[in-house]
Amino acid sequence: MVLAAVNVSVKAFAQLTANGIFRGAAYGLLGVGFALILGVTGRFHFAYSFTYTLAAYMSFTFWDRSGLNFYVASVLGILFATAMGVSIERYVYRPLATRAGATALLAVFVASLGIGIAGENVIRLFWSSQSQAFGGPGAGPQQEVWHLWGHHVNFLNLDVYQTASAFVLVLALAAVLRFTGLGRQIKATRVNPDLATIIGINANTVYLICFAIGTFMAGVAAFWYGIQFTVEPAMGQRPVIFAFVVAFLAGTASGPVRVLMTGILVALIEQWSSMFISVRWTQTAVFVILLAYLISLSLKGSNLLRWLKLPARA
Amino acid sequence: MQIWLNYLDQILIYVSLALSLNLLLGYAGQVSVAHAAFGAVGGYAMGYVVTAQGWSFVPAVLLGAVLAGIAGVLVSLAAMKLSVEYLILLTLAVSSVIIGVFTTFPQLGGSYGLIGISGITIFGWHMTKPSDWVLPTLVVAIVVYATCWRLGESAFGRVLKGVREDPTATQALGKNVFGYKVAVFGITSGLAGLAGGMYSGWLGLATPGVYGFAFSLTIFAMVIFGGMANLTGSVLGAAIVTLLEPVLRRAIKIEASRAALIQLIVYGLALVVLMRVRPQGVLPEGRTLRSYVIRRTKQARVEMSAEWVPENVVAATHVDVAAHEEQDRRELRWRDAPVVLVADGVTKRFGGIVAADDLHIELRKGTITALVGPNGAGKTTVFNLLTGFIRPDAGSVKLNGVELVGKNPDKVARLGLVRSFQDVRLFQRISCLENVSLAVQHQYGENIAKLFLGPTQVSRRDAEVREKAMEWLRFVGMSNFADVPTGSLSYGQSKLVSLARVLATDADVLLLDEPASGIDTKWVDTMLDMVEAVRNQGRTVCIVEHNLHVVGRLADHTYFMELGQITAAGTIDELTNSPRLAEAYFGTA
Repeated sequence: MVLAAVNVSVKAFAQLTANGIFRGAAYGLLGVGFALILGVTGRFHFAYSFTYTLAAYMSFTFWDRSGLNFYVASVLGILFATAMGVSIERYVYRPLATRAGATALLAVFVASLGIGIAGENVIRLFWSSQSQAFGGPGAGPQQEVWHLWGHHVNFLNLDVYQTASAFVLVLALAAVLRFTGLGRQIKATRVNPDLATIIGINANTVYLICFAIGTFMAGVAAFWYGIQFTVEPAMGQRPVIFAFVVAFLAGTASGPVRVLMTGILVALIEQWSSMFISVRWTQTAVFVILLAYLISLSLKGSNLLRWLKLPARA
Repeated sequence: MQIWLNYLDQILIYVSLALSLNLLLGYAGQVSVAHAAFGAVGGYAMGYVVTAQGWSFVPAVLLGAVLAGIAGVLVSLAAMKLSVEYLILLTLAVSSVIIGVFTTFPQLGGSYGLIGISGITIFGWHMTKPSDWVLPTLVVAIVVYATCWRLGESAFGRVLKGVREDPTATQALGKNVFGYKVAVFGITSGLAGLAGGMYSGWLGLATPGVYGFAFSLTIFAMVIFGGMANLTGSVLGAAIVTLLEPVLRRAIKIEASRAALIQLIVYGLALVVLMRVRPQGVLPEGRTLRSYVIRRTKQARVEMSAEWVPENVVAATHVDVAAHEEQDRRELRWRDAPVVLVADGVTKRFGGIVAADDLHIELRKGTITALVGPNGAGKTTVFNLLTGFIRPDAGSVKLNGVELVGKNPDKVARLGLVRSFQDVRLFQRISCLENVSLAVQHQYGENIAKLFLGPTQVSRRDAEVREKAMEWLRFVGMSNFADVPTGSLSYGQSKLVSLARVLATDADVLLLDEPASGIDTKWVDTMLDMVEAVRNQGRTVCIVEHNLHVVGRLADHTYFMELGQITAAGTIDELTNSPRLAEAYFGTA
């Protein structure tokens, strides 16, 4: 009986795998941006969801109000959000962290919660709480349904564009980290900001760059999300929580490609699990796997080296 | 009138949630953004058994509290080894998963949640108006306050603060950090479940929206506003955050929907400003409301100038022969002393690097053994291996015949083998006295059951603990600093307090990692006097030390380590007279 069920669902499996890769690319892109910020700067940037949402709203507004070309407006919107992310680091997090010293992580986290809450509601105040169609008819790429494997696997052209842009951005970041001086500076700062400063790296500048890259990536993800669905003030919450989970599973010190792959893996687990359990349960399934994994880690108990490493990042 | 009573009910419920989160966040330092989700466990459980199973309210709420406590224990297991940023990520996920699980059950109303929880009676009293709820919510708030106060402001809470400041150092002092974390997660989640049951009863519903992530953040913000590790602060924080919306609406006279948005914007920005101007909250740790009303000037502090030297108590008691004691006399003392600790064949590899290679070490009662060797020889690794912080690949370590390999560091410490840290690792934000008090073993007030069942004993026993800790502070000459947080001490003073902390464990065997390094030369002799005084009390001491002057003065027996191996043993004179060892230690002469 199990075998029969498996046999029937080979085609469904292919479709779910495609869905998983598309959705996972979005999780992965967000996860890469978040992991870069948290891993290098140590700032728990909860307001990530605010800059994500802001990118979509500003793109929409630039296009709607100024009559600019849709793509130009979108790039401007994403850059606006990027500037916001950088300003948050420069004018809120950095002064706080300098002042708070050992408890910087918590102080920055609380402040970023504050910005996230205030930011979302500023958006509601300006644009209303209603969800809005992004792009509108005629703007942006047209939706087409593409087929693979004789109509067994269907997806939108937008899915492909979105996934491709995620891969391009992540691979570009990986290349920057690997081959350029800037990349080496970022990696050095990630390992030890104080030592990096001693050898002449301006850690503050590196932090700003990481915020710019991370926020830009989130902006691109928001753009594709907006085109496929609608924009609304709380649109950042769910995808960003997934980004947190992806960054968490991959480890914030991991390379971008690994984080992207983790994002895809999470989405694949989410999609595949729908073959065995009700669709309502799939996201929960991901979290349950995560929890079980962590509990098994802690109950192993013998790995005291990990334990010793605990307070290293105070 | 009823509307303000309604706010009072709401504040009292939020107070319960904020207090319990404060015990977890402020005292134990576990940053959780899942507190509302534990409240949801209580709220949903109560709602379900009341509406579908016909339970009465009080047992239903208690059931919810127990279930939430169990959920908290499970989360604590997952959280055990995570650093702060990962703990935030984990609790974020937990918050989603708990709410997600509830929305998948049609019995729990799916994504609409449980609505129409009505007809609640408490001991025959019908709960209909806001005024009916004042007493029950007040009782719960008082119970939660009393519980958190008892746990937080006691020996138990002292250990929680140790866990917050430095879990490794806490474990090294013999405290079962694992158990404390499980307990504090379980208890605070249970209390959140209790408050959640009350909340859902008062609201008449338990929905995913009510207990969403935003509510967790609100509770979190109350604790931050009020001040971490300050229970009165949490009461204030809950009141301020709750009253912000109605006050704003009445004061600025704007329509309700905009008021709600502006309230959230104000509240978000207030969090940012608070972190900027007063990150410790309205009432910082250790401050009471009264301390603001009655401005007691507490300026009896000793000036911490560079000129300060420790009160030289030891010098008066110690016999001044040690410095010139003959080498052979010390060798004799070592030869005759009974062996207390034996490490045999201890080996540890990290990948291809052999950090410890077939080590054989003996520590003898009432003697000082020194471990010397060049940097990177593996001396500190030996301490980690002996005390269970690193598990050896092979070999055994026996303390008075009891095998230590395989035991956790806290168990090893309780068996009487305690180590100090090269980088001191004091608990920065608590006082010297509390640092040393924490080290005292077998404290009455560390037992949760005894805390609640023997209230008179608790304070009497804790006074004894503090007196004992004070004696050790006097011993190292730091008693004038008893109330000073160790974060504001100089390095040398920190070393002295860390010595007092190790001594206060009453362990038979002390492993001191560079006790005299990094302190002012004029204190070095004082420090060495103290270590000798400890030996003269019959305790066994092992030191890791670079300074050969220190070793020459203290050591009765010396091991020389190179690249993870012990290559020589004997008196320090024998070792320093060997040209080969001198070269290994100093480089080519």
